[in-house]
Amino acid sequence: MTDKNITLLPSGFTDLLPPEAEREARAVHVLMSLFSAFGYERVKPPLAEFEDSLLAPGPGAALSAETFRLMDPLSHRMLAVRSDLTAQIARISTLRLADEERPLRLAYANDVLRTRGSQQRTERQFCKAGCEIIGGDGEDSTTEICVLALLGLERLGFAEVTLDLTVPRFADHLLAPLDLKDGARAEIRHALSHKDFGALKAFGSAMSSLFSPLTGKAGDAPALLEILRAMPLPPAARADAQRLEAVYERVRAAASDLGFSGVSVSIDPLETRGFDYQSGVAFGLYAPGAAGALGRGGGYDVRSCVDEALVERATGFTLYMDTVRKAMPPLPEERKILAVGPDAPWAEILALQAEGWIVRRALDGMEAPGCTHQYTAGTIETITSHSGKKS
Amino acid sequence: MVHQKSILAVPKGRILKELMPLLQACGIRPEADFSDENSRKLRFSTNHDTLDIIRVRAFDVATFVAYGGAHMGVVGTDVLEEFGYEDLYAPLDLNIGRCRLSAAAPAEEARREKSARQSHIRVATKYPALTARHFARQGIQAECIRLNGAMEIAPALGLAPWIVDLVSSGETLKANQLVEVETLLEVTSKLIVNRTALKTNAPALNAWIQEFQKA
Repeated sequence: MTDKNITLLPSGFTDLLPPEAEREARAVHVLMSLFSAFGYERVKPPLAEFEDSLLAPGPGAALSAETFRLMDPLSHRMLAVRSDLTAQIARISTLRLADEERPLRLAYANDVLRTRGSQQRTERQFCKAGCEIIGGDGEDSTTEICVLALLGLERLGFAEVTLDLTVPRFADHLLAPLDLKDGARAEIRHALSHKDFGALKAFGSAMSSLFSPLTGKAGDAPALLEILRAMPLPPAARADAQRLEAVYERVRAAASDLGFSGVSVSIDPLETRGFDYQSGVAFGLYAPGAAGALGRGGGYDVRSCVDEALVERATGFTLYMDTVRKAMPPLPEERKILAVGPDAPWAEILALQAEGWIVRRALDGMEAPGCTHQYTAGTIETITSHSGKKS
Repeated sequence: MVHQKSILAVPKGRILKELMPLLQACGIRPEADFSDENSRKLRFSTNHDTLDIIRVRAFDVATFVAYGGAHMGVVGTDVLEEFGYEDLYAPLDLNIGRCRLSAAAPAEEARREKSARQSHIRVATKYPALTARHFARQGIQAECIRLNGAMEIAPALGLAPWIVDLVSSGETLKANQLVEVETLLEVTSKLIVNRTALKTNAPALNAWIQEFQKA
């Protein structure tokens, strides 16, 4: 049965048309200008790499199952098409830019390819735009990354944004001193990631009382921080809680300094989902009505690809541009498109463009379609009716 | 911040009957049409300005909440396990709608399976993902035939020798000469919450979760 349907795209792939493609491109431009103004430099890693390097332990390995592989006919080695950019940035920063002074600030906006979509994002190809600080994920770095994320979303017109802080390893650190079987640990982690605190009862009353102070408070930062301060915590978890609190205070101060009234900074110390490789303070970005998170970020380990013993800390964030584009309010603009004849002088066209007009030239006997105004020998007239469609 | 309206999705049928007293205890009183089985309405207001209720099929509750169409829902663990939605929280076991998800077969088939493990069996079920996962753990490839009801008739009519379905008393199985072989899952209903909703409207949703907890 060969049913060749050449009109169909594979599932998870879409054509972005006007004005959606333009919206996404402009959004990327807004973000890249912001990052650039803060001294982040753009990198453009390749679409595919050898599997061994792209899926090396760390950010790459976490996405192994979602990564497309293909055989390289030249080297006869397996290639992997990037499903994320963090691993590539890590490789670049420890190899090509190993000698650059730290902290190293890098930015990117590129498409990624996934073998399968998720339930929220059925797209298998989408654009990720973000920035990374290599060389540290202390309070200063993490705050800068959080503020850039909030600034970016504000410039894209989001009126309400929640930045939800967590430390993905906090629950692990809390459980570390306990004598638990590996299977039990995984089950507890699963229950926590679903906020299914009832399921913890199966592991004894000590287990449910360990987490009960944090139950039902997700998001309520002042209450949670007070509880965390009062809770007896193992040293690693205590350090997590302190870093969480420090970042929270600084991001909140920054948000009020910037006059962001629509920003809420929340805390959910038991949130782990979506943070496969982050080990420092991490965060998710949410907007009411958006399908899933707009983006995520946080601190992680960058292992040198030259010497495995060399590990640097890094932090950064990425925005999923498909989700962002769909949730973004429309850009305020009035389309003013001017039709000119094929013989209109080029210098005059440039002068009109300098005034803010979009100029569309009539070509080879065809009118310029979809225009709002007509320019003829120095005069501009409004075009009353046009359909913009082929008749 | 703008006051957002929350939507609670509840399943039609059996679970709804057990849920009504809980809603009452939480101080949620849906409009009169809600208890009218013949009403064509799908969305109902309540005595709270900030809470609406939608009444949908049990399987659709999880879908509505996962995609953010509804912010909270009441759904069985059978449905949650079948879909495995990533963007859901299940913070509360409501202890209603108790039953179990079991595999059953005619007595003869059940015996045969126990004596000589097959590598492949055919199962009629509404839960293909759960079923395939369960049998895969035993090294058995389960070919699932998706049915939406009346699973119990499938073995007798030769569709599939095995079924996986919800069992409460076991009477339906007995009436169709089927033997319950193993339990895949103990089922109860949970309160579920959409992730984005909890992140962007935490105070309101946490308050509702607390109400349900007290009820």
